[in-house]
Amino acid sequence: MASGAPPSFLFSEYLEKLPAATFKKLYQQPSTAFAIFRRMLPALAKVYVQALLYMSEPFSVKSLNVWVAPDGEIASKQALGILRSLHILEVVQPDKTQPQAIQLTANFKKSLRLALEGGGSHNSFGVPSSLPVDPHINIAFLDNWAGTIWHTILYYVVDSFPSTLGQGPGRSRAAPKLAVKGLLEAGGLVRVAQGGQTQISERGFNFLLQEANAQVWSLLLLWLEAIDRLRAENKEAVKQDNVETLSFLFMLASLELGRAYDTSALTEVRKNMLPFLSDVGLIYIDPNNKQQYFPTRLATTLTSSSSTLRSVVASFDAAVAKTAGDASSLMGNNPSSTHEETGIIVETNYRLYAYTSSPLQIAMLSLFCRLNMRWPNMVTAQLTRESVHQAVANGITANQIISYLAAHAHPQMRRQAAVKGTQLLPPTVVDQVRLWQLECERMTTTPGFLFKDFDTVDEYREMSLYAQEIGVLVWKSDRTKMFFASKVEPLRDWLKMRKKGN
Amino acid sequence: MPRAIRGVLIECEPAIKSILVHIDSTELRNDAIIEDLDDTRLIVKELMVKELQKRLNLKLKETYRPEQPLEDDSD
Repeated sequence: MASGAPPSFLFSEYLEKLPAATFKKLYQQPSTAFAIFRRMLPALAKVYVQALLYMSEPFSVKSLNVWVAPDGEIASKQALGILRSLHILEVVQPDKTQPQAIQLTANFKKSLRLALEGGGSHNSFGVPSSLPVDPHINIAFLDNWAGTIWHTILYYVVDSFPSTLGQGPGRSRAAPKLAVKGLLEAGGLVRVAQGGQTQISERGFNFLLQEANAQVWSLLLLWLEAIDRLRAENKEAVKQDNVETLSFLFMLASLELGRAYDTSALTEVRKNMLPFLSDVGLIYIDPNNKQQYFPTRLATTLTSSSSTLRSVVASFDAAVAKTAGDASSLMGNNPSSTHEETGIIVETNYRLYAYTSSPLQIAMLSLFCRLNMRWPNMVTAQLTRESVHQAVANGITANQIISYLAAHAHPQMRRQAAVKGTQLLPPTVVDQVRLWQLECERMTTTPGFLFKDFDTVDEYREMSLYAQEIGVLVWKSDRTKMFFASKVEPLRDWLKMRKKGN
Repeated sequence: MPRAIRGVLIECEPAIKSILVHIDSTELRNDAIIEDLDDTRLIVKELMVKELQKRLNLKLKETYRPEQPLEDDSD
């Protein structure tokens, strides 16, 4: 890719690249502070935030260390590191004589308090529309609508794969909106080959195998980065950053499903986002009434921390999925097939029997299996060395294949495994898939930075220790006094601090 | 003052590593490998990883005959 940094597929990566000033502005919105707290923080970091939230004075690092058991020191340092990189926590040291102390950054503290206690007139959690709501727009309608839109996008990506089964009768002919297509191309999920044919790429494969929530975020990230690029090209004032866009996404996540919200209460920037958000199915706007917008389940689960496996388990027990109400219930099979038992049976001879009629699922299987036959309610396939090699060459990992098969296993397999107390998937198959992957992956690669030419042994030892504590150390050699780290910024800052200290 | 060099850490079997070193010296004019760390590790320029991988696969194909599965109806 010609244009600088590759697109980040993790939202946390994207956030870490933002400058401190952006965070400051972001945290002015209680909904943003709350969403970050909910979605981005590991449990221990949450504990720290909760402890510090109502402290009026900075809390000394020494007292904090008292809470930490000796064997939890690394976890604690990592949690603090995350908090610092998200600009939630700052270290203060009024003067040299006093010990270092930590506190929450002012904006974050204020906003999170507001979010928890309520009050203020920030309208950060959306303004419900006071106009009458069309009765046909209910939760079921929104689910259905968002599901259709999202499926269309997934089909578009999958469809670009030259499936051995060709165009089955169940294939959806609808295409996603032009803007979405452009985005999938720009993000490298699909490539347009000669003759206008689209082709799925390595990234596209990974995208498909992600869970639903992560897919939504990947697409939104692509979009955010596309906007960034556009701004850079037009040389617009740097001042205009992603604050409005990001905080609107966080706000959407805090809205209530099935409720109408007022579009006129939105700022200009946010209004301009509505068409795209509706193109990807995050919000629904009634064509006859543009005064209101409805967040769909895709939007309201954006910041829920439960990792929702996009599994056929959802359709395996449709009733449960409905009440559980996670995004994955949108991703299940066709409603028509929910009554039968669907899923994949894996045999020890690498044969697969997938009881499904969903073209999406069949296409997914064709990514790493050789499909043999297709019946109205079932396809037979086989895992072969070639098919797995092909998948690995396309960027799919053995673990992804295995977890896909496990997540979509047929209920019969689950029952058998439960009765006999054996593993869900035949161990031979699991091992063989891993071995096949090893055959094509003769080396593992880790991008990062090599640190060398240290002045003293102490410098090397302290710095590599610090790298280990914050979890960026990949490899080190005490003999040659070199180490390899996945990130350079925190270490550079540490080095500066150390220089100042001396 | 320590130096930080951008690169990609490659970890592999010693045999593969020596092939990589060979490729680097004979085909790529020593342009790929930044640092030879030990028997199983190398630091390589980010831009050269793909190229190196490609050449390695070619080299391995020369020596490696995958056995044909019994019911292969090549697709």
